[in-house]
Amino acid sequence: MEPIEIGIYVSAGMLVMVLLGMRVAFAAGLAGYVGLVWLRWNGFDYDPERFWKAVEISTKIAGLTPHSKVSAQVLSLIPVFIMIGYLAYHAKLTTALFEACKRWVAWVPGGLAVSTVFATAGFAAVSGASVATAAVFARIAIPEMLKVGYNKQFAAGVVAAGGTLASLIPPSAILVIYAIIVEQDVGMLLLAGFIPGVFSAIVYAALIIGIAVIWKNVGPPVTGFTWKERFESLPPALPIVAVVVIIIFFVYNPFGDAWGTPTEGGAVGAFIIFLMALYRGMRWPKLKEALLETAKLTVMIFTIIWGVLIYVRFLGFAELPDAFSEWITSLDLAPITILICILLAYAVLGMFMDAIGMLLLTLPVVYPAVMALNGGETVAAADAAFGMSGQMCAIWFGILVVKMAEFCLITPPIGLNCFVVAGVRDDLTVQDVFKGVMPFFVADAVTIGLLVAFPAIVLWLPSLAS
Amino acid sequence: MAGSAAVLEDSSLLSRLDRMLLPIERFGALLSGLAIFSLMFLAAYSVTARKFFGSPLLGYVDYIEAAMPIIAIMGISYVARDGTHIRMDMLVNALSGRILWLFELISVLLMLLLIVGLTYGAWEHFDRSFDCARPWCSRDSSIDISLPIWPSKLVVPIAFGILTLRLLLQAWGFGRALVLGLENPVAVPLSLTVAEQVMAEAKILEGAD
Amino acid sequence: ATEWNVSVWGKRRAFTEHVEKLAELVSEKTNGEFTMNVSYGGLSKNRENLDGISIGAFEMAQFCAGYHRDKNRVVTVLELPFLGVENLEQELAVSKAVYAHPAAAEEMEQWNAKLLMTSPMPQYNIVGTGDPRKTLAEFEGMRVRATGGIGEAFSAVGAVPTSVTATEAFQAMESGVVDTVAFAQHAHLSFGTINEADWWTANLNPGTVNCPVVVNIDAYESLSDAEREALDSSVDEALAHYLSNYAELLKRWDAVLEEKGVEKVELAPEVIAEFREKAADPIRAKWIADMESQGIPGQELYDLVVKTLAEAKSGG
Ligand code: NA
Ligand code: NA
Repeated sequence: MEPIEIGIYVSAGMLVMVLLGMRVAFAAGLAGYVGLVWLRWNGFDYDPERFWKAVEISTKIAGLTPHSKVSAQVLSLIPVFIMIGYLAYHAKLTTALFEACKRWVAWVPGGLAVSTVFATAGFAAVSGASVATAAVFARIAIPEMLKVGYNKQFAAGVVAAGGTLASLIPPSAILVIYAIIVEQDVGMLLLAGFIPGVFSAIVYAALIIGIAVIWKNVGPPVTGFTWKERFESLPPALPIVAVVVIIIFFVYNPFGDAWGTPTEGGAVGAFIIFLMALYRGMRWPKLKEALLETAKLTVMIFTIIWGVLIYVRFLGFAELPDAFSEWITSLDLAPITILICILLAYAVLGMFMDAIGMLLLTLPVVYPAVMALNGGETVAAADAAFGMSGQMCAIWFGILVVKMAEFCLITPPIGLNCFVVAGVRDDLTVQDVFKGVMPFFVADAVTIGLLVAFPAIVLWLPSLAS
Repeated sequence: MAGSAAVLEDSSLLSRLDRMLLPIERFGALLSGLAIFSLMFLAAYSVTARKFFGSPLLGYVDYIEAAMPIIAIMGISYVARDGTHIRMDMLVNALSGRILWLFELISVLLMLLLIVGLTYGAWEHFDRSFDCARPWCSRDSSIDISLPIWPSKLVVPIAFGILTLRLLLQAWGFGRALVLGLENPVAVPLSLTVAEQVMAEAKILEGAD
Repeated sequence: ATEWNVSVWGKRRAFTEHVEKLAELVSEKTNGEFTMNVSYGGLSKNRENLDGISIGAFEMAQFCAGYHRDKNRVVTVLELPFLGVENLEQELAVSKAVYAHPAAAEEMEQWNAKLLMTSPMPQYNIVGTGDPRKTLAEFEGMRVRATGGIGEAFSAVGAVPTSVTATEAFQAMESGVVDTVAFAQHAHLSFGTINEADWWTANLNPGTVNCPVVVNIDAYESLSDAEREALDSSVDEALAHYLSNYAELLKRWDAVLEEKGVEKVELAPEVIAEFREKAADPIRAKWIADMESQGIPGQELYDLVVKTLAEAKSGG
């Protein structure tokens, strides 16, 4: 049998296991493991005497992968980014942010919802994980909105959608994961996420204002804050701004050399927030709780990473990614049409899968194909199908798929952010949240359309830095 | 947090074993958390030393790489205990009773198959780097400061060994539920809807008292 | 038909040309009966290539001794600083001699590996940003991307070696994580560090790294006689191709420096002498003592290098 055939059967088997409810990390790892055995035994012409030899070699290849793949310095960004979010919660920065946003922007139609979006965007600048952001704001923002008479479902939807901003606005665990799989510069990708993230927040805010103006029953504006009250709300939220500036300067310093690596920026940011949290009364029991939560989310993500990388190792031996890119580039369609089809496929897949699992499972095959579509990794902008260099295409596509992955966090039937919001709030069912988040599908579709049509939104900042 | 579910307890042997394993698992997760915490100090120290004192930390990358397996893998069993490892539970949530336990059992057995294999493979990976006829028993060392790598490689089979125990307990738990046709089995992660049902029932009972 | 998987990393570059050529020659000589599938990172991480050979995951692989000194103690003799190797032909000669030493073969056997050929590399001179560093005092506290013996040499004069991976070297330099990067010329070109550089040391010549290509012993022994003959006989030809290809690259080097506006720094002979004195002798003495205490003939290996190098210099 041809290795590619084995690659296709094993990939199909993995999808079946995932659909039947096996934990994604283990389904991918097992598919890779079985695939390695199959491929090796196929190489031995199915000689029964050499079956165990095939098993032994494959077991050793699969068994060295978890250690080999996780011991990379660049991956240390992920736990640090996750920890920042939990520490920021204990430093009560989230409440301070929401309060500041409320006093400054709640006077517009749909004001509290708009405040929530901006507060989640601000928190996104210190949080690397979307679900954590949604969980935190479900506790803070929803009660405030309900108090002034907001529609319960809509309030929940705002928080679920706002939470997704955390993965575009740096720091972002998922952008780091993308950078690692496709071997691109982490700093550039983090930088590239900034404007699209802020852009998404603005589109969300515009949508909320539109809804509030047209239907009026969403929730009243909150007015009456004096300028004094407004300015008083700023200092408690200030550390967030400081941390954002620090992280950005570590990646890109407009006045000279960057200060260091993104990991170091994250660590310094985390350290400042840790000091804040100490000051605001966090002691060992709370810290222990935060560390356990950080560890849990971190381990969950890393298990998917190495599980999928066992599968990727198998793909490497099966040469499937090469075959797929050849097929994609041989299609008789305009490259942009193919790209849009790929994004739509992500939207469908994203309905059923979680974001990180989806990216990890598909990128090893899809990314080389997209790069080939543009004209290769080293293509110059002038000769490229999408009119951008190979490196810029990698960044652009990264932001697009991460935005798609974020979108899948709020789409039914599997929308993690909606589950989390419903989980945190006793008075909300998952169906309520899905109903409330529906309008934001439109906003996300608009955002993605604009990012596809105007790549400059994504590429302007990284092109300054390169 | 995402995907976590309830684990019921009672006085059976299975449940007692479940609760005996839990502190070990929690300790593993705490090690992972503390390693992340120290990573923050290490990076903050490294950047301060470099920026302000012109004396960067020698072997910084080596230390981080050595810590990563603890961070990424040590807590794996703790995460598995309450089912936090992410999955697509659309189908599973639609099932109930013996069919559900059958699906869960198959899923756990497949995980067990993978983890037993990986434990052996990870042990071999450790063993290749370990030779006590040499200084520090080291047959594989890090790039900058020649730190022995075997301790960090040993983390993986240990963590997977604990996970193997956990999966055996879960296989037992789901197998027992399947054979006995239990409604609320102990020592296994119950998907959210089942847990909700149980809690709802518990609330009704409280009300009846 | 025999198909071998070959694990290398990065992108196809001067550093992998002998592997590509070998694959081509072997296939030609056996009329396509024996083929090699060269994979750039698809089969293993570079630091685990020796593990992969040991397991039998693939049949041929390339790695560098400095990545994991404890895995390959013997060949690290070739990474000692200031051996005095002047060109690729000499580098090739000393590598060949060490690879043929029983101690090297025996250590590789523990990984089920057989040393096939080296990937001869020129001296690892450094590129840097800012003002050129021309004295040892200026090396103090310098953050330099360097591995193995070269890293040790820099650390002997107070610099701090930091090994970011080759692919991260550019960003590390750009972000100030390192001030300087030690690479061979081809790597300065292919990893873009030359684009960030203000200067390059033309004559520091602190040493180089040694990157063998090995084959899995079982796979090698199960080749048919014709296939093994095709492989063995192609090694010299592949290396000749590598050398001529690299020579072309070196010819372009000066033009590249000029085009990028990189200053060519010549260090004073007394500075180099001082560096050599501080780094070469103590590091070599320590290396020999370490090896001897572990039952490896360190002195003999070092003498072999010195003797072979002298012969190569007088012969060439
Ligand atoms: Na973020
Ligand atoms: Na979804």
